[in-house]
Amino acid sequence: MTTEIVGGATLAPPRSVDDGWAARLRRLAPFLPAALILVGLFFVPLGVMLFFSFWRTDENLNVVPTLGLQNYANFFSNPAYVRTLLKTMLMGAGVTVVCLVTAFAVAYFLARYVSRQWARVALLVIIVPFWTSYLLRVYSWQAILGERGALNQVLMSVGLISEPSRLLVYNDIATFIVLVYVYVPFAALVLYASLERFDFTQLTAAQDLGARPDQAFRHVLLPQIRPGLITACIFVFIPILGEFLTPAMVGGAQGLLIANLITNFFGNALIPEGAALSFMIAAFVVVLLIVFRKYLRVEDVYARG
Amino acid sequence: MASRVDPLETMPVSRFARSIRRGLRLWFAALIAFLYLPIVFMIAFSFDDSSTPGLPIQGPTLRWYDVMLHNRQLLRAVGNTITVAVIVAVLATIIGTMAAFVLVRGGIRYRNATRVAFMLPIMVPGVLIGVSLLIYFARAADLQLSLVTVIAGQLVVTVPFVVLIVASRLQGFDRFLEWAAADLGASPRQAIRHVVLPLIAPAILAGALISVTLSIDEFVITWFTVGSQPTLPTYIYTQVKFGVTPEVNAVATVMLVATLLIFASASVALGRARRVTGRRRRPTL
Repeated sequence: MTTEIVGGATLAPPRSVDDGWAARLRRLAPFLPAALILVGLFFVPLGVMLFFSFWRTDENLNVVPTLGLQNYANFFSNPAYVRTLLKTMLMGAGVTVVCLVTAFAVAYFLARYVSRQWARVALLVIIVPFWTSYLLRVYSWQAILGERGALNQVLMSVGLISEPSRLLVYNDIATFIVLVYVYVPFAALVLYASLERFDFTQLTAAQDLGARPDQAFRHVLLPQIRPGLITACIFVFIPILGEFLTPAMVGGAQGLLIANLITNFFGNALIPEGAALSFMIAAFVVVLLIVFRKYLRVEDVYARG
Repeated sequence: MASRVDPLETMPVSRFARSIRRGLRLWFAALIAFLYLPIVFMIAFSFDDSSTPGLPIQGPTLRWYDVMLHNRQLLRAVGNTITVAVIVAVLATIIGTMAAFVLVRGGIRYRNATRVAFMLPIMVPGVLIGVSLLIYFARAADLQLSLVTVIAGQLVVTVPFVVLIVASRLQGFDRFLEWAAADLGASPRQAIRHVVLPLIAPAILAGALISVTLSIDEFVITWFTVGSQPTLPTYIYTQVKFGVTPEVNAVATVMLVATLLIFASASVALGRARRVTGRRRRPTL
């Protein structure tokens, strides 16, 4: 294709001479190391894991190579496992909703009422905690929510409670709070990226034409930022399926999520069982990502300052 | 795009406009407080004199920093972390940058599928990658887990990041600059070396710095691929599991400062990359 420039002349990009497969290979060669890593250290291990998931563990915890679906069947016939799976889905959905609402309000505020320059600064401030160690942030929540944690001590010194409360630690509420904490920056970044492109005069126009504010919001704003909303959902929901650290550190014995089952299987040397569960989750995630691939604008989250 | 200061904005659209706005501002402040609360506590506890960190904080002390500096195991873990981070960053940056060039310009056949394939390792939860690598290394390939397997595991996530960052800058690159160089007699190699690389250098630098940050803080995949030599996060995790170890707060504070410095440089580099390639006079190709 050519581009016209002033004066009617055309400017054509230098055309590469077309080539045989040898030249093609040479052109693609720089891609090979990355492809090797992607295939050799991501796809192949997932395949190997699938293979292992059909094997079984005998009484001596040795892996016996007999093919079968028993690991998958066993998982679904164990009510405790199924309950954990459902709880994880519910927790994921709940955290996603809270993150989206929180982040939407903030992103709306930044996109509508703050100059672009200051909004960028604010986003940077929001995203900085995300780039600090995840392990350490969860750890310090333990120090805040814990039985002898800062929150209890503040409440006790104010006189609201007389002895340390365990309401907010080693249970699902604590896990919920920390998960919202970990994922809300993602949601804020994604939603801001789509609200930034929205022309807010449209809302005024809609109201001029007789729409109530809530109608303008629902019929004008929401449809236009739908890709952003879906992206944010994916970015919050999917990682929660793999959360084992937060539940392990603040969730206590009853606050386990599905990924804790995986680590427990592996901790107990039940490798085929763990492989089966991991593969199910991985397959679910990959299918979700492929279905929503259009909305996978990872750049919105990671590639901005 | 409408200009930011809109005359209509100054007229109250609704009676509630002002209070909505005030509410949103409060909400924003609350979110920031929420996000920084644990970080503030972590830093405060690192100066807490009592050996069970908690409120009220007792007199500032540097004791835990001193304990930290005399903990041999911890220092060894720091050494491991730095070794891994440097190797991972160098490899990921080179491999990722090369791949980004081919991805954007190389006429790859299934380009969109390739793009999605590169995003999978970023999006698939780390625990699944870690577990599959554990089976792969320890069971299928019968490898001894070591820092080498840690490096391999971290490359799975860092390479896609570099590809992503460099590719998104290359996409906005003004190719007329390169064609001008060719017109003036530069070979393709020279054009890349003297025109393209200097212009996208900030993006490459940002990719490298983000790889370092990711590597230093990476816990989940590392936890499954680490052998007998711990990295700092896996060491901290085992310590924390055994009980209260106040020097962890000191280590955390130092790590925080280090990551923030690296992240800040990455942001500056990315900002520069945006300015350079920001002039979107993109030829239609």
